[in-house]
Amino acid sequence: MPTYDVELIDIVKDFESGGSRVRAVDKVSVKIADGEFFALLGPSGCGKTTTLRLIAGFEQPTAGQVLIRGIAMEGIPAYHRPVNTVFQDYALFPHMTVEQNIMFGLQMEGVGKKEARKRAQEALDMVRLPDIGARKPQQLSGGQQQRVALARALVKRPAVLLLDEPLGALDLKLRVNMQYELKALQRDVGITFIYVTHDQEEAITMADRIAVMKDGEMLQVGAPREIYEHPGTRFVADFIGETNFIPADLIERAPDGSGAVRLSDETVIKAQLSKTLESSSGPVTMAIRPERVGIAKVGDSIDSADSDQTVLDARLVDSQYIGTDTRYTARIADDINLIVRVQNTSEREFSHFTIGQPVKVYWRQSSTTVLDR
Amino acid sequence: MASRLRTMRENGSLLALPTISWLVIFFVLPLIIVLVFSFMSRGRGGVAIMPFTLDHYGRTFDVFFIILQRSIGLAALTTIICLIAGYPLAFFISTRRRRIVQQVALFLVILPFWTNFLIRTYAWRILLGEEGTINGLLLSLGLISEPLPLLNTQLAVLIGLVYGFLPFMALPIYASVERFNFRYVDAAQDLGANDIRAFMRIVLPLTLPGVLAGCALVFIPSVGAFVTPDLLGGAKGLMIGNLINKQFGGSGNMPLGSALSIVMMAVVMISLLVYIFANRRDAGAS
Repeated sequence: MPTYDVELIDIVKDFESGGSRVRAVDKVSVKIADGEFFALLGPSGCGKTTTLRLIAGFEQPTAGQVLIRGIAMEGIPAYHRPVNTVFQDYALFPHMTVEQNIMFGLQMEGVGKKEARKRAQEALDMVRLPDIGARKPQQLSGGQQQRVALARALVKRPAVLLLDEPLGALDLKLRVNMQYELKALQRDVGITFIYVTHDQEEAITMADRIAVMKDGEMLQVGAPREIYEHPGTRFVADFIGETNFIPADLIERAPDGSGAVRLSDETVIKAQLSKTLESSSGPVTMAIRPERVGIAKVGDSIDSADSDQTVLDARLVDSQYIGTDTRYTARIADDINLIVRVQNTSEREFSHFTIGQPVKVYWRQSSTTVLDR
Repeated sequence: MASRLRTMRENGSLLALPTISWLVIFFVLPLIIVLVFSFMSRGRGGVAIMPFTLDHYGRTFDVFFIILQRSIGLAALTTIICLIAGYPLAFFISTRRRRIVQQVALFLVILPFWTNFLIRTYAWRILLGEEGTINGLLLSLGLISEPLPLLNTQLAVLIGLVYGFLPFMALPIYASVERFNFRYVDAAQDLGANDIRAFMRIVLPLTLPGVLAGCALVFIPSVGAFVTPDLLGGAKGLMIGNLINKQFGGSGNMPLGSALSIVMMAVVMISLLVYIFANRRDAGAS
């Protein structure tokens, strides 16, 4: 039996605001394993931060249960829970030095001053800021404050570390660096991380599993690859990365999860169906990632020996050079624009195509996902 | 235009001249006069005459010392009670979620200022008198058989001072708590601090500037109060302010009044220095 650090069972959280009830978290159930890096991903107002605060104990659920290491947390205040939080704005105490900030949590446990000081220094070494103990938080850069907040939480050796958009305030380059550092740190300390973010790239880069949230519900929980490759709903497909949505009619649904759809120009193509697809016929949406679509000149040979390949005629309407890739817009069927992303390797030149010319676009059936519209 | 503004900025001292002369004529000079008076002898009608003497300071710290002591004691007690009552009040007001509730509560705190201070103090005489409202109520309830001597006591002065100065404590603390980021409380609890420890280690130190400002605003005018002790304290509640007031009237003693004023000012100065020192230490800490 696997051990779970955190279990949420049918969690509901309602807030009263101006006489009306707002449901922030709606029947959320999830099990997070020991040592897992778990990301709560969603747009602002989706309930991800509230979910985190329910685990931390800053909020009490309206219904449902929070279990940490198998123990029900009902009635257990935040200061008795084996979790620690890295806050979005870090919330470092401004009237204390960095060292005092880190020692604070240990002193609350009754750890002696000498021992607390020693462990604070170890924590500072761990986040690679060994010499800043005597400084005040306001004297540090954003990145340094972020590490101190991390050290302050980790020094308590919690069962679970909760992180509320900890990289949100950092600039892009630092953010990317910190993503790798955080992931490496998590691997080293082996503590379960629950990480709230609205940045899909952050979630995909770091997390073992991602829960995509919207309007208080967890729409899909899975590994980054699964979420990205096999989104269960249109919202998930749209929120994570760029996606082409092609309106179509479902005309065939095979038990093995494959099927066929008809595009608006009557072309029938094979497609992969989402596991959670409810429709058995009628209007659906076919999703396909721009980087899974190939583009070729008419007459160029496409590996058509592969029966899995779909090839369509199209016309190039736009092309955009964006550094690593070129982003083409190709028109298929009646006014359906398909975004195609091709990496700029030396073989493929940007000037390969001219706008307005007829082209062929192609993809593998397994790259598509048919979703409810 | 810009260059003229720059000239004005560079010659800023010229702009301050009217204010500075005002202060010199009406504040610094009188202060010097009071200081000089305090070392002079008493003439007929209470005016100051030569020769110089230290008598008045001697009397201040001798026969009048008990009144000085009482003034400082009552002012300190007023400050402490205002703090104990004012902090929770200010905390309550500033943590209301709805803006309108905060505004109404603040309005209620300021409301007494709409009535003249003298009238409000007279009202306390009616409440505290031997046949006053409080005694009347207690007698009719049978809780006491004789009216309590409330009026013309130090207790009456204390009640009057606390009543009068509570808003001066509550308002600066309100401003401090209002600015306080409650995320720090989340952080403290997250790190294992219960409510009391989070308050003592985080909330109180971070709202200390408001507390110190409130204490200064209550203590300083309390030390020199004379209307409240005059109306509510009688002979037993006499404070240094009443004493000074008396020296400058009819057949008073201006040099003695001056000496008392200087001593009172010194007390206020010392408390201000404590305030500044505490604030600076706090500023250094944050």
